[in-house]
Amino acid sequence: MNAGSGKTNHRWLPLPVGAALIVIAAFVALKAVRPVIPHSVILLYMGFIVLGTVIHITLEDTRIRRFWNFFLSHPGEGGWPKLQRLAVLALLPAAAGWWAYDSVRPTYAPPVEIFQRHPTVGEATLARIVVPPWAAAPANWRDSDIAAGKTLYTANCVVCHGERLDGAGPAAAGFRYPIRPANFRDAGTIGQLTLPYVYWRLTVGGIQNQFNSAMPRWVAAPGDANASSLHSNDLTPDEAWQVILFLYRETGYTPRAE
Amino acid sequence: MRRSATPDRRTPPAAGIALVAFLATAAAPALALAQSVPIPDYAQPAFIDSRLAVWIAAQLHLDFAAFVLAVPMFALAIEFFGWRMARRDPAGAARYDWLAHEMARLLPAAYSLTAISGALLGMLLFSAYPRLMAYMTETFGPTFAIYPLFFVAETLCLYFWYYAWDRLQGRRKWAHILLGLLLNIFGTIVMFIANAWATFMMTPGGVDEAGALVSLYGAIWNPGWMPLNVHRLIANITFGALLCAAYAAYRFLSARTEAERALYDWMGYTGNLIALFTMLFLPFAGYYFGFELFAYSATYGVTLMGGVLSWLFIIQAIVIAILFIGAAYYAWLGLLRIPGSEPQRRLVPAFNVALIAGFMVWATPHSMAASIEESTGQFHPLLGALGLMAPKMIAVTLILVVLYVSYLLYRRAGKVPVVAWAATGTRIEWALIALMAATILGLGIYGYFAPADVRIKTSIWQILVLIGGIVVTFVIDLYLLRGARTQAAVRWGTMPRRGQYILILLAFVIVWLMGLMGYARSGARLNWHVFGLVEDTSPGAGLPPLGDAAIVVTAITLIFFALLGVAFAISALGGRAGLPAFGDRAGEAAA
Repeated sequence: MNAGSGKTNHRWLPLPVGAALIVIAAFVALKAVRPVIPHSVILLYMGFIVLGTVIHITLEDTRIRRFWNFFLSHPGEGGWPKLQRLAVLALLPAAAGWWAYDSVRPTYAPPVEIFQRHPTVGEATLARIVVPPWAAAPANWRDSDIAAGKTLYTANCVVCHGERLDGAGPAAAGFRYPIRPANFRDAGTIGQLTLPYVYWRLTVGGIQNQFNSAMPRWVAAPGDANASSLHSNDLTPDEAWQVILFLYRETGYTPRAE
Repeated sequence: MRRSATPDRRTPPAAGIALVAFLATAAAPALALAQSVPIPDYAQPAFIDSRLAVWIAAQLHLDFAAFVLAVPMFALAIEFFGWRMARRDPAGAARYDWLAHEMARLLPAAYSLTAISGALLGMLLFSAYPRLMAYMTETFGPTFAIYPLFFVAETLCLYFWYYAWDRLQGRRKWAHILLGLLLNIFGTIVMFIANAWATFMMTPGGVDEAGALVSLYGAIWNPGWMPLNVHRLIANITFGALLCAAYAAYRFLSARTEAERALYDWMGYTGNLIALFTMLFLPFAGYYFGFELFAYSATYGVTLMGGVLSWLFIIQAIVIAILFIGAAYYAWLGLLRIPGSEPQRRLVPAFNVALIAGFMVWATPHSMAASIEESTGQFHPLLGALGLMAPKMIAVTLILVVLYVSYLLYRRAGKVPVVAWAATGTRIEWALIALMAATILGLGIYGYFAPADVRIKTSIWQILVLIGGIVVTFVIDLYLLRGARTQAAVRWGTMPRRGQYILILLAFVIVWLMGLMGYARSGARLNWHVFGLVEDTSPGAGLPPLGDAAIVVTAITLIFFALLGVAFAISALGGRAGLPAFGDRAGEAAA
C-alpha cells in the first residue's frame, strides 16, 4: 500500500465522499430554486459540475490513487470509513435507478417540439411591401392611428395574444404546446423585426410553408387564391398597419431599421 | 538526415486532377444547358435523399479541405521559425524542422481524400440539382474556370513542398519556404472562391430581383463572404492543429522509445497550444459572421437564434466549453512534466472552479421550457438574468483571462526569475490581471443595465481591455523571465496517457462541432437553395428533427475519422529513422 492510501483512510472526508457531496449539494440547490429551473438546464449544469469534479480528481496521480484506494478495504480500518464507502457505493445504483424510473414513468405532458417561430420570407417579397408614410417613422405615428389599432387589436387579436400582449389570451391555452400565440412583450419578437416583415407576417399568417401556427391570414390581396374564408377580409391594409403601430407603442419596442 | 517518404507516394494527386477535369467539363455543358434545353429541377442520383447525400459529401469535403488548408499554415510557420534559429541553435532548428515535416506528413493522403470528396460533391450537386447548378454556373461562370487553375497550382506546390523537403535544405531552404508560402496563398484563394459560392447561396449579392447577374464582383463579395472567409480561416487552423495533436497523441501512445514519446509529446503540446490560441479569436469571428447574416436578413437572426436552429447554439456552447475545458485540462496536466511546478499546480483547482462556473453561465439558455410544468409563462428569473448577452460576455471574457493566466503559470513553472525586480514585477503583473478582470466585470455589469446599443459598445471595450491587458502583462512577463534559471529540464514524454486521450477527444469534438455548425449555417436557408431567389421545391426540402441531424453529423464524423485513420496509418509507416535529439524547453519558445 502506498502513502496515498494511508492518507485516505485517516482523512475526515475522503475524496470520493467529498466529490459525491459536492454533486449532491449542487443538485439539491438547483432543484430548490423557485420557480423551477427546467430539467434540461439542471442536466446541463450538473454535467458541468460532474466534469469539474472529474477534472479535479484526475489532475494529479496521487489524487487518482486516493480516489481508488477509498474503495478498497484496509486492515484495521474503523466503522466510519466502511460506512462512507458503502454510502458512496449505494449512491451510484440508486441514482441510476432513479434516472431509469424518471425517464420511463408515465407523464401527461405533451411531447416537446422545437418549432420555427418565424417563417422564412424572400427579401424580394419584403421589398414589395410599401410602408405607408404615416406608419414609417415612429416619431410621426399619430395617436388616432394607435387608438384605432388598439380597438382592432381588442376586437380581433386579444383572444389569443392577450390584453397585455403577452400571448396569454383566453384562447391561448387551447393551442397545442409549445405552439403558443406570440408574446409581443418578448424581446425576441417584434423588437427584432422590420415593419415590412411584421406586416407580411400579419397579412400572410402562419398557414404556409413549414410553419404550422393557427395565425390567420388577416388581409387578402385581391384575387389571393390562398386567402382563407375565416378572417382574410377582416382587415384592410391600413387597419393592419394601425394594429402594428399599436403593438409597438404599447410594448415600447421600436421596429428594427430596414 | 534523410527521411523515408515512400509510403506517401502511394497517394498520387490523381484524384485532384480528376476533380479539376470534372469541374472544367461539368461547368461548360451546364452553362449551355441553362440557355437551351429545359432542365429537370431535381434528380436522385444516389440511393438516398439528395439533400442527405450532398450534406454528407459536402461536410466530408469541408473537413478534409479545412485540414489541408490549415496544416501548411502553421507547419510553414514552424519551419520558418526553425530556419531562422538554425545558426544559433542547430539542434533546436532540426527539431522544429522535424515538427513541421511531421505535421505535413499527413497532408498527401489527406489531400487526395479532399479531392475525392470534392469530386463526389461536385458530381452529386450537378446531377441532383441540375437547375440550381445551371443557375450557379451562369452566375459564377468565370470563377468555375479559374478555380481549377488555382487548385492545380495548390496541388503542385503541395506535392513539391512535401517531397522536396529534404532536397531543399541548408542554403536552399529559402526556396522551400517560398514554395510553402505559395502553397498557402493558392490554398487560401481556392477556399475564398468556394466560400463565394457558399455565401452567395446565403446572402446573394450582385444580382437583380429576378436573380440575373448584375455584377460578378458583387456576387463574389456578397455580404457573407468576408465574414465566412475570416471565420473559416481561423477555425481551420484550430481544426488542423487539433487533428495534428491527435495524430501526435496516437504516435505517443504507440511509441516504443523514450525519444519518440518525448517528440510526440512535444508535438501534441504544440498542436494544442496553436489550437487554444486560435480558439480565443473564434467566438469573435463567429459574432462577426452572425452579425452580417442578421444585418442581411432578420429571418436568419430569428431562425438561428430564436427559431428551429437555436438549440444548435446551446449545443455549440456546450461543445465549445468541452473544447476549452479539455484544452485547459491538457495544459494543466502538462504541469506534471515540469519539475518544480508545485506552486503553480496548487492554483489549478481554483482555475477549474472558475472555468466551470464561467461555462455554466456561457451555456445558460435564455428561455427553455421543456414541459408545461416548467413553463413559467415569462422568462425564468435565473435564466432570464444569466441567459443574456452581458453575463455571457462577462463569462466568456473572464474564461479567456483564466486560460491566459494558466498559460502564464505554465511559462513560470519550474523557473526562477533572476532579474532584480522579480518580486515587484510579479506583484504588478498580478495586480494588472486583477484590474483587467475587475474592469471586464464592471463593464459587463454596466452593459447589463444599459440599452442594447450601449451594451454592444461595452462588449467591444471588454475585448479591448482583455487584449490590452494580455499584451501589457505578457511583455512584463517576457522581461521578468529573461535569463530565468531553470530548476530542471521539462521531462517531455512523461505526460500521463489520459492527456493523450484528451487530445484525441478534442479532435473528435472539433470535427463534430464543425459538422454541427456547418449544418446550422446551411440549414438556416431553410427552404431556399439561394436565399430569396431559388426556392427548394424538392421532396427532400425541409429540416430534419435535431436528433436526426445530430445522428447524421456523428455519422459524418465517424466516416471522416475512419478515412483519416487510413491517412494516419499510411503516414505512420515511414520515417522512423533520424529522430532529432530532445532535452530542453526549446519547444515552448515557439508557442
